[in-house]
Parts: sequence; C-alpha cells; structure tokens
Amino acid sequence: MGETVAVTSGNSPHAGFALARRASLLRVLLGEPVGAVALAAVVLLVLAAVFAPWLAPGDPYGGDLADTLKLPGEAGLLGADGQGRDMVTRLLYGLRTTLAMSLAAVVIGCGIGGVVGFAAAYYPRVSGLLMRSMDVLLSFPAILFGLALAAIVGPGIVAVVIALSIATVPLMARVVRGSAVVVMRQDYIEAARALGLRDRQILVKYVLLNCLSPIFVFVTLRFGQVILLGALLSFIGLGAQPPTAELGAMAADGRNFLFFAPHVSVLPSLLIFLVVLAFNILGDALRDALDPTLRR
Amino acid sequence: MWRNVVQRLLLALPVLLGVLLLGFLLMQVVPNDPAVVRAGPTATVEVIEAIRRDLGLDKPLAVQFGLYLSRLLRGDLGISNINNMPVATELGNTVGPTLELMVASLVWSIPLGIAMGTVSAYRRHSWIDRIIMAVSVAGVSVPVFLLGLGLVWLFGFYWQVLPFTGRTGPIWTLEGLAGIALPALTLGGVFVGPVARMTRSAVLDVLGADHVRTARAKGVGERAVVLRHALRNALIPVVTLIGLQIGFLLGGAVVVETIFSWPGIGRLAVGAILSSDAPMAQGTIIILSVGFILINLAVDMLYAVLDPRVGQT
Repeated sequence: MGETVAVTSGNSPHAGFALARRASLLRVLLGEPVGAVALAAVVLLVLAAVFAPWLAPGDPYGGDLADTLKLPGEAGLLGADGQGRDMVTRLLYGLRTTLAMSLAAVVIGCGIGGVVGFAAAYYPRVSGLLMRSMDVLLSFPAILFGLALAAIVGPGIVAVVIALSIATVPLMARVVRGSAVVVMRQDYIEAARALGLRDRQILVKYVLLNCLSPIFVFVTLRFGQVILLGALLSFIGLGAQPPTAELGAMAADGRNFLFFAPHVSVLPSLLIFLVVLAFNILGDALRDALDPTLRR
Repeated sequence: MWRNVVQRLLLALPVLLGVLLLGFLLMQVVPNDPAVVRAGPTATVEVIEAIRRDLGLDKPLAVQFGLYLSRLLRGDLGISNINNMPVATELGNTVGPTLELMVASLVWSIPLGIAMGTVSAYRRHSWIDRIIMAVSVAGVSVPVFLLGLGLVWLFGFYWQVLPFTGRTGPIWTLEGLAGIALPALTLGGVFVGPVARMTRSAVLDVLGADHVRTARAKGVGERAVVLRHALRNALIPVVTLIGLQIGFLLGGAVVVETIFSWPGIGRLAVGAILSSDAPMAQGTIIILSVGFILINLAVDMLYAVLDPRVGQT
C-alpha cells in the first residue's frame, strides 16, 4: 500500500507541472504570428474534413454532366470536374479521405514505433537488435513500401496505410528511444526504481510523460509528410482508386484536362500543399516553443 | 578504414538476402498462379502441370528459393506476364533513363541548395534568410506533381518552349537536353529545400565551434570565416544527409517518371503493379531495393573517408 501512496503523491505535482507547461506552450505558439496562423489553418482544415458531409453543397459521387469541366464561377464556387461533380464538394470529401488515411498510418506507425522505441530504451539487452532492424527499415523510402504493398494486397487505401505505417515505425522508434534514453538517466527514475515501482509504472508515469514534447513535435511533422506521401502514392495510381474522392487521386484524374480546365488537378494539388505546409510550419513552431535551445 | 569497409559490406549482406527473400515471398502471396497466367486462358490441366514442373513450382518453398537465387545470380529475373519479354532486359533498358534523370536533377539542385543554405546561415535572421527558409519549407511541403504540372503548363503549354512527353533523345543532343529539362527541374525542385535547410543548420552548428571562434579572434573576416572555416567542416554532415536523401529522391523519381512518361524504372514498376504483371513488379522492386542498399553503403563509406573519426570506435 505504501507504494501506491508514493506514486500518487509523486505524480500529482508532476501532472500539474506538465499542465502548466502545456498552457504556456499554447501561449508561446499563439505569440508567434507564423505559429498561430499554422495552428489556425490546421484546426480549420481538420474541422472542414470532419464536417465535410454537412458543409458540402453537393454529392461527391453524383455530378451533373451538363456542368462537366465548368471553370470556377461557372458552376459552383470552384467549378466542376470531368464528370460534372462540384469541386467544392469533391475537395471537402477528398480532404476527409486524405486526412483519415494519414491519421490511420500515423496512429499505427507511431504506436508500434513508440513501443519499439521504449522497449529499446528500457531493455538494453534487446536494444541492439531492435534498433538495427529499425536501421534496415529506415534505409528504404516510403514510396518503395508503397510499391511493394500495392503489389501484394493490390492498389488501394489499405496498401497506402500499411506502407506508410511501416515507413513511420523506424522514425518514431528512433525519436522515442533517443529521448527516453536521456530521461532514463535522470535521478527520479533511479528514485522510482528504488521505491520498487514496476517497469510498466515507471515507463508510463515517468518516462512516457517526460518524452511527450519531442514525440509531439515528431508526430506533427510526420503527419505532414505522411499526407504528402499518401497523396503521391494515390497520384501514381497505387492508392485511393476512382471514383473515391481523395486529393492525390483527384489531382491525377484532372491531369488529362490540364490545358483547358486546370482547376480540376491544380485545386486538389494546392489543397495538399496547404495542408502539408500548415503541418510543417506548426511542427517547426512547436519545436521552437518546446525547445528554446534549438531556436535560431 | 578497410576493416570498416569490410564490416559494412558484411552487414549489408543479410539485408540484401532479406530483401531477396521478401521479393521471393512477394510472388507467393500474389493471387495469380504464375503457371496458370503463363499458360493462358485456354490451356488444359496437363499443360499447366507441365509449366508448373518447368518453373519448379511443384518443389518445396525452400528449394524454390534456392532455385530463384541461382536464377537471379545468372541474371534471370523471369518473364513478363504482359509482353513475354525477359524482365532483366526491360529493367536494363530503364536503369539508364532513371540514372540520367537523377543526375540531371542533382547537378543543379545540390549546388543551389548548398549556396542558399550558406547564405542563409551567413546572414541569419535577415530578410534574405527568412525568404530562403520560407522557400525551403514550401519546397519540403509541395507535392512533386503540383510542381510538375505547373512547369508543364507554363513551359509546355503556355510558352510552348519545352517538350514534356518522355525522353526525346540521348542526353548529349539538344533534343535530349530539352526533353530532360522539365523532369529534372521538377525532381530537383523538391530537393533544393531540404539541402538548403540541412546546409544552414550544419553551418550554424560549426559557426559555434572553437576553431571558428579562434579564427574570428585572430581577425579573420566574417565572409572568410563562413566560407573557409565553417562551410568546409559543415559539408561532412551535409554530404551524408544528401547521400541518404538521394535514396529518397529515387522515390520521387517514380512520381516524376509517371508525370512525364519518362521511360525509367519507376514508371515500369508502377505500370507492372497496375497491370498485375507480378514477375515484372517483383523485378523492379528488387532492383530498386538493391539500389537503396548500394546507395546507403556508398554513403556510409564516403562518410568514413570524409571524417576519419567515424568507425574508429
């Protein structure tokens, strides 16, 4: 029983500290105009994707052929695509699919990578083997995983999610192991061990909580990269298949009309650019806010 | 140093074997039975069985893997399901154009990126630093096809000065150069940003080092400090990072080849996968993987040569 008391009393000021730091993080982020704009853009884009079915003026899969390839302003706010489908609607649903696909890959990849990273940090005996296999995975680019998975399970969203998860695992494992090793050297871990806490308690309550900042920065930046890679895979035909509304597939679809209806491929491409840019700038701003020593 | 080189080579071997094993297993999980595909839709059961024996498909998996390795060593990668051409021949035809495209992208983007990063570090926090860093963040975020489609529209359609449909001839002729211009601008375009960022941060790291402080203390001008004392030392990490990124550039080449119908290995791979040509897909994926292993090996060794401290521990 004494142990539990020690844990709770040791934990509450710790949690309070983390909370205070989070509030100040938001303040620092909002204090910098670039970071504030990026944060606002990310929030807006995510909201637009989540509420796409309520925001969209039309049907993403049924168009009016009379509107085929109408330019922005001629039909709807942003025109229509090759099958007369409203571009605003397609873009909203496309953003939804792209973000959902990326979210799945980031959650799976970072989940597995995080477990590997913590395991490598906490159990030095398996560290060598784990990290060497991560190095091997790291030496292949995501696009190659995309090609291989599309060859195995067939082109589609599932292939993209698996491929991008695999490509994320080693990166996350490195980040997590790197910061966990530093935390593990701190005196309070030694103290927790001396108090007789179990491995799992130490890992979750002390190591994980103190590694959150670098993980947070990594996940934000990685989300942007995963969106970009997923869109690339869809663009070359290995990801989302028509008629699915997905930004990369939509950009590829509009390629045939580039010279007389450029909006069909340029608008989804621009939207991908905007989303990735927002995540990248937000990630950089987060890093600067969380680690002032890196600021230049 | 040689011990280090040998060590790296030995470490690369199991990875190579693993890649080949995965490539081999790839064929086992593909839904189409290769014997049935090869025999065609009208073949009888006897013919299919004969082809199966011919290809060694009736043997245990381990034996098949051995046969597969020995065929690989002889340069036999199988036959395309689509056009019955040997996979190795088709691959051989595409390696050249892909290398061409990558070299043409790197020769302009690396110098430009290093120059931009150095200027940025030299004039840190100035407006030019801000502009260069903004451009490189944009470069990291832009989908390569947006850049490609934009260039096609501008140079190919609006001004009609450059072709954008595939390789137009050998690179040493004027037509060939014109043909590779847009693909190389596109692929190199997404590489400038990362190189500039890496260079800037490496130069800034070195600017804080003792020997730079000493150089400043003895009155060396800021320009000479950056160019002679900082940049030269900063190039070691930059070269490594660029080397690692080159592998990833090969990934970008897959997309660029698709946009410009460039007859490279990436386009071949995508085409094979989309048309369920399993032997061809397997061949391209294996060649690309081996390419990455070789690039990483070369970068590791280059790093050991550039920085003698590496590998001594």
